[in-house]
Amino acid sequence: MTDEIETPRLRLTAVAKRFGAVRAIQHADFTVRAGKVHALVGENGAGKSTMIKIVAGAEVADTGEIEFEGEPVKLGSTTAAIALGIATVYQEPQLFPELTVAENIFLGRELRKAGRVDWAAQNAKVVELLELLGLPERYTTAEVGTLSVAEQQQVSIAKALAADAKVLILDEPSAILTDAEIEVLFDVVRRLTAAGVAVVYISHRLDELFRIADEVTVMRDGRTIGTYPIKDLSVRQIAHLMVGEELSDARPHRRVPDGPAVLELRNLTREGRFRDVDVSVRAGEIVALYGLVGSGVSEIAACVYGIDRSTHGSILINSTQVNIRNPEHAQRLGIALLPANRKVEGMFGFQSIAFNISAGHLRRMSRFGVFIDRARERAKALELIKRLAVKTPHERQPISAMSGGNAQKVVLARQLVERPKVLVLAEPTQGVDVGAKEEIHRLITELAEEGTAVLVVTSDLPEALRIADRIQVVRGGTTTDEFGPDASQVDLLAAAAGGSR
Amino acid sequence: MTTVAEKREKTDFVKILLTQRIALLAVLIVVVVVTFFINDAGGYLTAPYDFDYMSASLISAVPLAMLGLAEMLVILSGRGGIDLSVGAMVSLAGMVFGFAYGEWGWPLWLAILATAGFGALLGAVNGFLVSYIGFPALIATLATFYAYKSLAIVINNQQPISTKPIQELFSLSRSVELPLFGEYVPNVPLGIFTFLLPTAVAVWLLLARTAYGRRLYAIGTNDVAARWAGLPVRDTRFKAYVYAGLISGLVAVVTVGQFASARPDAGVSGNGMALPAITIAVLGGVAITGGIGRVSGVVLATLLIVWLNAGILLAFVGNEGSQYQLLALGAVLVFAALLNGLTNRRYGGTTS
Amino acid sequence: MTAVTEAKIRRRVLPSPITGQEIVLVGVIVLLWAALAVSTPAFLTAGSIQPLLVATAPVALVGVAMTIVIITGGIDVSVGGAIMVCSVLTAKALVGAEVNLGVAVLLSIAAGGVLGLVNGVLIAYGRVHAIIITFGTANLFMFLGLRIFGSGTVNGIPGTLAFFGRGPDGRTLGIPHAFLITLVITAVAWWYLRHTAGGRHFFAIGGDAQAARLAGVRVQRRILLAYVLTGVLVGLASCFVIAQGTSTLDQSVGSGKELAVIAAVVIGGTSIMGGRGSVLGTLLGALLVQSVVSGVTQLGWRSQLSDLFVGIFIIVAVGADLLRARARRAR
Repeated sequence: MTDEIETPRLRLTAVAKRFGAVRAIQHADFTVRAGKVHALVGENGAGKSTMIKIVAGAEVADTGEIEFEGEPVKLGSTTAAIALGIATVYQEPQLFPELTVAENIFLGRELRKAGRVDWAAQNAKVVELLELLGLPERYTTAEVGTLSVAEQQQVSIAKALAADAKVLILDEPSAILTDAEIEVLFDVVRRLTAAGVAVVYISHRLDELFRIADEVTVMRDGRTIGTYPIKDLSVRQIAHLMVGEELSDARPHRRVPDGPAVLELRNLTREGRFRDVDVSVRAGEIVALYGLVGSGVSEIAACVYGIDRSTHGSILINSTQVNIRNPEHAQRLGIALLPANRKVEGMFGFQSIAFNISAGHLRRMSRFGVFIDRARERAKALELIKRLAVKTPHERQPISAMSGGNAQKVVLARQLVERPKVLVLAEPTQGVDVGAKEEIHRLITELAEEGTAVLVVTSDLPEALRIADRIQVVRGGTTTDEFGPDASQVDLLAAAAGGSR
Repeated sequence: MTTVAEKREKTDFVKILLTQRIALLAVLIVVVVVTFFINDAGGYLTAPYDFDYMSASLISAVPLAMLGLAEMLVILSGRGGIDLSVGAMVSLAGMVFGFAYGEWGWPLWLAILATAGFGALLGAVNGFLVSYIGFPALIATLATFYAYKSLAIVINNQQPISTKPIQELFSLSRSVELPLFGEYVPNVPLGIFTFLLPTAVAVWLLLARTAYGRRLYAIGTNDVAARWAGLPVRDTRFKAYVYAGLISGLVAVVTVGQFASARPDAGVSGNGMALPAITIAVLGGVAITGGIGRVSGVVLATLLIVWLNAGILLAFVGNEGSQYQLLALGAVLVFAALLNGLTNRRYGGTTS
Repeated sequence: MTAVTEAKIRRRVLPSPITGQEIVLVGVIVLLWAALAVSTPAFLTAGSIQPLLVATAPVALVGVAMTIVIITGGIDVSVGGAIMVCSVLTAKALVGAEVNLGVAVLLSIAAGGVLGLVNGVLIAYGRVHAIIITFGTANLFMFLGLRIFGSGTVNGIPGTLAFFGRGPDGRTLGIPHAFLITLVITAVAWWYLRHTAGGRHFFAIGGDAQAARLAGVRVQRRILLAYVLTGVLVGLASCFVIAQGTSTLDQSVGSGKELAVIAAVVIGGTSIMGGRGSVLGTLLGALLVQSVVSGVTQLGWRSQLSDLFVGIFIIVAVGADLLRARARRAR
C-alpha cells in the first residue's frame, strides 16, 4: 500500500492525546503524501478535530512521533507548524472584511520597501495565487467584505499558500458551500495537488470524497481504523468502517399513539438554505431530522421558530396553516425550541439558573403581567432542577459557572416551564457529557410519553437512532429518505452522506 | 492550621471586596467619612464636617443619583448602551417646565407631569434611533445632545425663566425635619423625599421586581439568546432610553427648583451632567457591556462621591475645593475601572 | 501576467482613495458655501474664509488622531481636558518665561504626549474600556489644568504664537498657517494609514483585535501609539487655540472639544465600531461643522442654533451609512 521509495511529507505514528479523563485519541497513524489529497473521516467525537489540532500545532500530542519530510519534528505551537509549511483553513474564515484581499493575505508579514508596504510586490504575488485558485486578479484589491463566503474561503486558502504551505488542511471546507462553489473548490484542490501540495481534506459528505480524494483514513472512537485508496471503497463501506460493529439496540419499541399530525412542514423552503422540506410529527411521537453539519438542518429549526422566515411552503399546527412571525408568536402557538448554539443563543451567561429558566415565560411568572411572582418562579425553578437532575447547590447559581451538560439542562428547562405542544430540539446534546446526554434522552422520551410532539434536529447519528420513532434524512438542503427505528447506522449514514444528488 | 484558616478568611474578604461592589463602596464610604471626621476633630477643615453638614450636602445627591440611575438603565440594555444627552435633556425639559409653570401658569403637578412626559419623548427619540434604526448609542445620543442643547438655548432666546412662581420653587430645595424621630437626626433636604427616593424605589421595583426588569437584564446579558427566548428585544431597549428621558425630565424640575430659575444651559454648563452620571453608574458597578448593575450600587456610589466632595470643599480654601473634586472623581473612576478589569481576570466578574 | 495588468495593479494598490462619504461631504460643503455666498455676498471673501479655516484647524487636527483611535475600536473623551492642560501650561510659559515659538510648541507637544501616554498605557495594558478610562482621565486632566490656572485667567499672553493666529502673521499667500499645517498632517496621516504596514494594522485591530494578534500584529503597542499621537496633536492644536484667542486664556478652554472632535470624525464617515475610517473625511467633517457655525453667524441667527445642525448632520451622515450597510447585507 505504501510506496517505500518516496518520503512522506508528514507522518504521524502512534499518536495519543488525552484531555483530563477523556482519551480524545488513543492511537493514530496518519501519513500524508506530496501531491495527494488525503481524506480524514469519522463520526462526531471520533477524534478528527483533535488530530487536526495536533497537526496544526494547536494541541501537543502526549505520545507518538511526528515526522515532516522524514525528519522528526515537534509541533509545539501554531507558529511552529506554519513555519514548517503546515497551514490550516478552518470552517469560519478569520479575515478582516474592511481590508483588501492582498492585505488580508499579507497581514502581519507585509513585504516592505523603504518603510512602506511594497504593494506592487505583494499584489504581484497575490495575482499569482489568485490565478492558481482560479479567481479573477481584480480581487487583489477588493475588500474581503464584498466577496461571497466561498470566495472568502478561497482567500483563506490563498493566505495559507502565501506562507508556502506544503501541507494544507481543509477542515470541512464544503460545509458552507453550494454545489457550484464546491466544484470551484475541487478545481482549486486539484490545482494545488498538481503543484505538489499535500492536502488533508476533512468532510462529512462521503460522496464528494470519491471525486477529490486519493486516500482515505477512517477514525472511530479515538483510533485510526485504517488508510485505504479511495477507489477500493464505496460510500457504504466507508460508512461501515466509521460506524463499526453495530450493537443491537435493546431499546424497547415505543408505541406511538395514532392521530393527526400536530406539526407539519409542507414544502418548506428558505431560498439558499433548504428547500421542499416535508415532515410531520404526531402527538407523542419523536421524529428526528438527521443531516450532516451544513446540510440545512439547523436552519429548518430556526424557521419553525420564527427566527428566520420561509420563502415558500407552509407550517401547519394541528392542521391549521400558521405564519410564524417571531419566537414569541411561536411560543403562543405552543412551540418550544432548544437552540443549537447554547452559549450564543441559549444562555444568559452571568445570570442565575432561575433567571435563565423563567426568561421565556415572564408573563406567566408575573402577577398582572407586571410584577415577577418570585415564589412561583423559585418553585418552578426548583421543580425543573429536580426533574432534569441539574446538579447545583441552589437556583441562584450563575449558569456561566456550570458544566456544558448542566447548562444545557437549564436551557432545556426553560422550554418546559409551560408544557409545549411541539418541542423542537436542535442538537440537544452537543458538547454535553455522557451522563447528561443519557438524562436528556430519557427526558425527551418522557416528554413524548406525556403527549408532546418532539422534533429532534440533529447531526448526531447514534442520537437519532436512539431516541427517534422515525428518522427523516436531510441531504443537500432537502428531506430525502425516511427510516424507522430499526434502520442500521450504515444505511442512515450512507443516505445522509452519500448517494446521488 | 489556624494560619491556613486565617489566610483563607483574608482572601475571602479581599474577594468579597473585589467582587461585591456594594461591599467595596460601603467600606470606602466609611473610610471617607471617618477620615473627614478625624480631620474635623483635628481642626484641619474650614467648617465642621458633621452629620448636619453631611445631611445638607445630600441636596447635590438628588440630581446626581437620579441621572446615575438613568444611565444605569441604558447601560444595562447592552450593545454599547450609553446616554450622552441626559444633561441636554435636563436643560430642554427644564425650559419646558419653566414655560409651563412659570409662564403659562399650569398647576405644579401638571407642569411636573408634562415635563416628565416631555423628557420621555426626548428619550424616545434616542431609543428609536438606537433600538429601531440601529445607531450606536454613543453617536445617537451625541447627536441629540447637540440638538437638545441647541434647542434649549434657542427656545427662549438664551434667556432663563425666573418668574415669581419659579423663584418660589426654591422652597422645594429646603431641608425638612423627619417625622417621628426627626428631632434626633439632622434635617434632610426635601428633594430626597420628593424626587430621589421615589425614583430610586421605582427603578428598583422596575429592575428587581418586574418582568420588564428581567427583560432588560436579559437583553443586556445576551440579546441573541433573548431573541431566541421570545423576548421583545427592540421594544425593551427602546423603553430603557424612554425611562432615562423621563428621569431626566424629573431632574429638570429638581434643577429648576435648586437654581430658582429655568436655565437654558442647566444640564450642559461646564462639565455637563452626563459625564458625572456615567461616572456614578460605572463606579456603582454597572458593567459598560450591559446586563450587570443594581440600584443600591448607584445610590452608594452617589453617597461616596457626594460626601467625598463635601469633605473636599471643607479641606480646601476657595475654588481649590471644586478642583480637587475633579481629581477625586477622576481618580475614583480610573481606580474602579482598573479594579473591574482586575476582578474580571481573577474572579471572572463582579456581581454588582 | 501581462504588462498591462501589471501596470493596472500597480496603480490600483488599494480600493478607491476617496470614499463615497467624502464626495458627499465635499458636495454638501460646496452647496452650503454657494448658498451662503448667495445670501451674504461677504461670505466668499478672504476675510470670511480665512477665519473659517483657522477655526477649523484645531478640531480637524485633533480629529486626525481621534480618527486613528476610533479606527482601532477605541475612543478618547479626554481631549477637552488635555487641551486645557496644554494650553494653560503653554500660555503660562509664554507669559512667565517668555519662551519663543519653538520652545512653546515643543512644550505643548511634550505635555500632550505625556497625557496621551497615560491614556495609552491604561487602555492598552489595563485592559479597560477606553471610554471609561478617558472619562476618568478627563476629570484628572481638568483638575490638572485648573490647578495650573490657579485662580482666574491667564492674562497678557504675548503674540509669540501669532504664526498660527488669525492675523496677517498667521498667513502665507493668504493661506492660514494653522490650516496649512493641519492639511499637511492630515495628508501625512492619510498616506501613513494607507501605505504602511503599521497604518494598515490599525484597521486590522479595529476589525478584530484577537485575530490581528494571532496574525502577528503588535496590538498593545499600536493602541498605545494611537493615544500618544492623540496627545501630541492635542499639544499642537492647543498652540492654535492660544493663537486664535485674545491675549487672555480663560478656564473654559477645551471645554466640550472632545464632543466636537468626535462629531467631526463621525460625520467624516469613520465607523465608531472600529475597523473603518478616513482622516480626509474627518477634515471635511470639521470643515463642514465650522462652515455651519460660520454660516449661522453670518445669517444673523443665534449662534447656538449651529449645534442643532451638527446634531442633524451626525444623524444624517451615520444614518446613511447604516442604510448602506443594511443594503449591503441584504444583497
